[in-house]
Amino acid sequence: MRGLIVKYGGPFSGMVAHVIQRVTGLLLLVYLFLHVRTIYALSQGPEAFDRAVGAFHNFFFKLLEIALLGAVILHALNGVRITLIDLGVGHERQRQLFWVWSIGLGGLIFLAGAIPLFISSILRH
Amino acid sequence: MANAAWWYIQRITGAALLILLIAHFWVEHFVSEALRRGDLTYAAIRARISNPTWQVIDIAFLLIALLHGLNGARNVILDFSRIGRAGARAATMILIVAGMVWAWWGIEAFKNLR
Repeated sequence: MRGLIVKYGGPFSGMVAHVIQRVTGLLLLVYLFLHVRTIYALSQGPEAFDRAVGAFHNFFFKLLEIALLGAVILHALNGVRITLIDLGVGHERQRQLFWVWSIGLGGLIFLAGAIPLFISSILRH
Repeated sequence: MANAAWWYIQRITGAALLILLIAHFWVEHFVSEALRRGDLTYAAIRARISNPTWQVIDIAFLLIALLHGLNGARNVILDFSRIGRAGARAATMILIVAGMVWAWWGIEAFKNLR
């Protein structure tokens, strides 16, 4: 644990960002598995594909879809931040970058997507 | 391959995925009336997925995503567990096999399109 803290250069936001990146990364991998397994049904014809997709048309998966949006945004923005820091850009501001860029901007983009999604796919069904 | 090379690959595939994902998201959610409503059906995506150019883009997207995702999973496994050299090798082999099966599903999806 100490090694990781030193490696990522900060006892708080660096560690939080690091854990967020790994947890969201693994969750996205689980999503990619479900996604590709579902797409695979294309080879079984139109009915099989529509049935496979239909399995996700319920409240539980609609909520997970909104969570997926959040995970993608966090992972992508935080990934950009990590890459910029690795390139030597914003190294001394990595903590502010995490809060303003990954969490602040990420939160705004998330809400811009999540609110319409919630209204259209949950409240109207 | 050296870990430094994988470190670069993770950054480069990550940047590529950011662009590919935005394009993918746009194409699957906003380009037609049915998709804007969230009606993802065979009929709604048939024209696009029958197009060989899109098939190449989609398969490349999947392969890049698998490289990035499975390499990331490998980093997590190697960082958070004390499995030794043999264990690390075994984990890597398992991830490679999983990636091959995964890629096969994605490529196979485009066969027998009706």
